[in-house]
Amino acid sequence: MEAITGWWDDFFWGSLVVVEVFVVALFLTVAFGLIGAAAKLSGNRVALTIANAYTIVFRGTPEILVLLLFYFGSAITLTAIAQIFYPEVKFVDIPPFWAGSLAIALIVGSYATETFRGAFLGVEPGQVEAARALGISNLKTFIYVRIPAMWRLALPPFGNHMLSLIKDTALISIIGLEETLFVAEQAIGTTGKPFTMFILVGVIYLGFSTIITLSVMMLEKYANKHLEVAP
Amino acid sequence: MSFDIALIADSIPKMLAGFAMTFQLWLLSAVLGLALAVILLIMRISGRWYLAAPTMAYIYIFRGTPILVQIFIIYYGLPQLEFVRESILWPVLREPFGCAIIALTLNTGAYVSEILRGGVLGVDRGLKEAGAALGLSVSQRFIHITTPIAIRLCLPAYSNDVISLMKSTALASTITLLDMMGIARTIVAETYAPYEIFISLMVIYLFLTWIIQRSFGWTEKRMSRHVRSEV
Repeated sequence: MEAITGWWDDFFWGSLVVVEVFVVALFLTVAFGLIGAAAKLSGNRVALTIANAYTIVFRGTPEILVLLLFYFGSAITLTAIAQIFYPEVKFVDIPPFWAGSLAIALIVGSYATETFRGAFLGVEPGQVEAARALGISNLKTFIYVRIPAMWRLALPPFGNHMLSLIKDTALISIIGLEETLFVAEQAIGTTGKPFTMFILVGVIYLGFSTIITLSVMMLEKYANKHLEVAP
Repeated sequence: MSFDIALIADSIPKMLAGFAMTFQLWLLSAVLGLALAVILLIMRISGRWYLAAPTMAYIYIFRGTPILVQIFIIYYGLPQLEFVRESILWPVLREPFGCAIIALTLNTGAYVSEILRGGVLGVDRGLKEAGAALGLSVSQRFIHITTPIAIRLCLPAYSNDVISLMKSTALASTITLLDMMGIARTIVAETYAPYEIFISLMVIYLFLTWIIQRSFGWTEKRMSRHVRSEV
């Protein structure tokens, strides 16, 4: 245990990076999920084909493969572009933070696409028809009727997507993001205590998972409070 | 920058040489993980707190931490402990292959046991009551009534987990194993052609996912042929 002394601050900053990636990727995941669901429900054949290809590819290939493709692929493309203008440039890359956040958001977004699609289909048609009968515009119907009814249905599976997201942040250490797993590897280099350090990383992630699980439970309670029976 | 077809033709056979490794990792941990999941399930639904509580803690820990961290704890972490190096399991834990199998098994076992529990809880109460009324014992009811129905109920969720296990085997490349992912990373390190190599590997993984999906789809259809409505 005394091996950890002196590494607390590094692990703290590492955890902060995990939170940053999580927040950025969460927004992107919701965006990709909504766009994907909209494309699948639009009835437009081109949009549907693209969205289907998106979910098939990102749900059917290993996360680490997508991540490495993104990071090294973008690096080679950017380097090639940079060399057109500055031939002396050797290597340009997207920072691991952004490459990683984008990659895990695209992966989890493909799962969220299916969740949102199912949730939108689960909204009772009568509610939408009622809004139309009242002369409420399509946009307002979407914001005030469809979204509130849909997120109640999407919340439990979306909680699982958030857990996948936080766990996938660990992968980004492979491309050099200085999050907790990366910090642990550095700490092992000096202390020679791999078990202690990796267990600590596990405990940190378990803490994050617990926070997410509890938050989702609270959100579910909030979302369904109109369904509660009076005591 | 161009898409090098010759390189792809050259490296696909090399990557497929790692298929045996990927397949072994996948099949062994799927079978062992299923066995572990059944044991966990029986402990969980036994109704005895001293069996159920440790199972719940186990599932919580293994589902709440990234699989990459679990792999690192087992492969890099455990050798730090004296008693592990002296135990009879050391020949297994010394090898990356054994560690990968153990990590994947422990991880998938936690997920699958929750899936199985969902299936068992989904079995109609009336059927079990009917069994009791016919004088079947608790274990007879579990084996002859609950199990066949529960298997059918949890098959869709189980197929998803089998696919995600197949994707997780790619993480074995982080502990020096040369599965398809490991070979692809070696080739990319030599040729620096991430697009060609990684995209071809994505296609291979997509094909594997497709095969798993189709076989489960077929099994599901076969198992529920008695409830299929005549069209």
